[in-house]
Amino acid sequence: MAVVEGFLVATLLLSCLASTSYGVTFSSLQKTLVVSASNQQGKVLKGGEGNITITWSYNNSFPAGTDSAYKTVKVKLCYAPISQQDRAWRKTVDNLEKDKTCQHNIVSRPYSPSNNKFTWSVERDVPTATYFIRAYAYNSADEEVAFGQNTDAHKTTNLFQVEAISGRHASLDIASICFSAFSIVSLFGFFFLEKRKAKSAEKK
Amino acid sequence: MADEENSPGSSMHGVTGKEQSFAFSVAADPTILTDSTAKFALPVDSEHKSKVFKILSFANPHMRTFHLSWISFFTCFVSTFAAAPLVPIIRDDLNLTKTDIGNAGIASVSGSIFSRLVMGAACDLLGPRYACAFLIMLSAPTVFCMSFVSSAGGYIVVRFMIGFSLATFVSCQYWMSTMFNSRIIGLVNGTAAGWGNMGGGATQLLMPVLYELIRRAGATPFTAWRIAFFIPGWLHVIMGLLVLGLGQDLPDGNLSTLQKKGDVPKDQFSKVLWYAITNYRTWIFVLLYGMSLGVELTTDNVIAEYFFDRFDLKLHTAGTIAATFGMANMVSRPFGGLMSDIAARRFGMRGRLWNLWILQTAGGIFCICLGRANTLPLSITSMILFSIGAQAACGATFGIIPFLSRRSLGVISGLTGAGGNFGSGLTQLLFFTSSKYSTATGLSLMGIMIVACTIPVTLVHFPQWGSMFLPPSKDASKFNEESYYGSEWNEEEKEKGLHHGSLKFAENSRSERGRRVLSVSTPPNSTPPCV
Repeated sequence: MAVVEGFLVATLLLSCLASTSYGVTFSSLQKTLVVSASNQQGKVLKGGEGNITITWSYNNSFPAGTDSAYKTVKVKLCYAPISQQDRAWRKTVDNLEKDKTCQHNIVSRPYSPSNNKFTWSVERDVPTATYFIRAYAYNSADEEVAFGQNTDAHKTTNLFQVEAISGRHASLDIASICFSAFSIVSLFGFFFLEKRKAKSAEKK
Repeated sequence: MADEENSPGSSMHGVTGKEQSFAFSVAADPTILTDSTAKFALPVDSEHKSKVFKILSFANPHMRTFHLSWISFFTCFVSTFAAAPLVPIIRDDLNLTKTDIGNAGIASVSGSIFSRLVMGAACDLLGPRYACAFLIMLSAPTVFCMSFVSSAGGYIVVRFMIGFSLATFVSCQYWMSTMFNSRIIGLVNGTAAGWGNMGGGATQLLMPVLYELIRRAGATPFTAWRIAFFIPGWLHVIMGLLVLGLGQDLPDGNLSTLQKKGDVPKDQFSKVLWYAITNYRTWIFVLLYGMSLGVELTTDNVIAEYFFDRFDLKLHTAGTIAATFGMANMVSRPFGGLMSDIAARRFGMRGRLWNLWILQTAGGIFCICLGRANTLPLSITSMILFSIGAQAACGATFGIIPFLSRRSLGVISGLTGAGGNFGSGLTQLLFFTSSKYSTATGLSLMGIMIVACTIPVTLVHFPQWGSMFLPPSKDASKFNEESYYGSEWNEEEKEKGLHHGSLKFAENSRSERGRRVLSVSTPPNSTPPCV
């Protein structure tokens, strides 16, 4: 028992001392990029069919030289707060290494202060949810240094909805019905066949 | 001709064993006569039940039945928990919330509470072969139904229906009792139950691998997981056909004989039920089993998603880690029974109770550690130790259950099993359905609940054997095994001699006194029959 106790204490200590990894925090980033998307109000994009045009550029009102460290820009599809409710796997946390807000990558481009445009067609593995677009600027060490998004700070404006494909197919449905029918028919077939055999054996 | 012990259906004698854990065979036991005229591959007794448990043999009918039976149960575990490792994909396809996922998990274990009760009657009516085949083949369509699911409600309903198939546990144990002598039935049933439970682990490995293969073959994620469900469905159909084609109800293959025996009830069900529910120990064990098997089923449902989200692992990596939890059943459940037997040799029933408390509490403590662990290696270590504790406690529980009652053993075993499923539903409802706390916190809280709810085992007291903290009653003439088991029969029944089976059991249960049994005279050359 003493061994178990000792092990338990060591385990608890270790788990407390385990270093939490630290990364860049979102609150430390400046919103130096201007991002806009072409979604129309109220229109739902369909997975596998719809597309959306995204443009981003550097906001020149910031002091010159702020963007000297920017090397690449990654544009991502991010969940709006309403789609994060009751879904801890999409939670927003400040530590960008643990942040799960933006899980789908749209495009990655080398940084240029203006003239950036991309038309993205919604892929078939994008879930049904409400989204906004965010672009992160990375330095040469691949760390986030700035961002921009097409919505406001509270993520309430300019949101758009995606309706995912269901994943169902008529062929799957038919196969499923066939196999189910086979299972039931063979079961009862066996049962009645054996009953009949037993009856005829009894008669003999 | 067959006495109460050996009659089909009476032997939910459970997975106990004082001697059985070592008794792979009673072939050399002189008190069980071998029927030398019977032409079977294994030595059999007068009822043609095997006296020997040869794990690696497929001899017809005994060992073949064993393998058909445990693999069917394994298959049902695979399909019941097949959704769990794929939840990260399913939740995106069906737009599920944490509440939906939690409710589906509860639904998956709730269905079998009822189906297990019905299954006992089905085995009596149809025989275990058809009962098993009916259940497994009628639940195959429910597995195939996953391809139709397009909403949270549909998902919950389908998981509920698939969960009915876990009643194959009953047909498995029942079928074993028709094929194996009651003195080795403990080990046989324990092995079958443990290996069947492994299905919950195997599925965590199998489903993500299938999903990956199907996706690489070109399907989109939201279609691939649906296709993956066809494999458990096919397994149901294949096992059903094998059971029908290769199985037989009795060693002699004669179903009508079984029906003749099962027709006349051996006892009044109302009395059996009464003595089960008025025994306070029954309810303590219902609670305890909920905290060993129950938390095992809950963990089967949540652990893959937990590793996927907490440590950002790939789906099949999370599945592999989660699989080790369920697969540990192969050895840890029999290990628990073995430890129970070893403790009983020296300390009797008190040793068994302490063993159960230690194993289950250790499981609870490691569950707390699992929730608090921040690094992957620590988390995996805690999970493995948690699995050993909880599963060994399952085995240890059924080392004690057969001694609670002789008359109502079947009902108590059934109630305990139902308690396990209920515990699973309850822990999922309390800790893994609301968004109030994270899964990690839920695991820690569940660990605390395990530790707290294992304390009632201190209250289990046998007048003739004592309890964890109290010694047996000093008045051995008034409080002995005979009076304990005899108290389940009233004077009228005793006059008719209905209680003789219980008296015989009482005499043989004296081994639960531990070392002190030497001071009590036992007839020489008698090995206590192990139930």
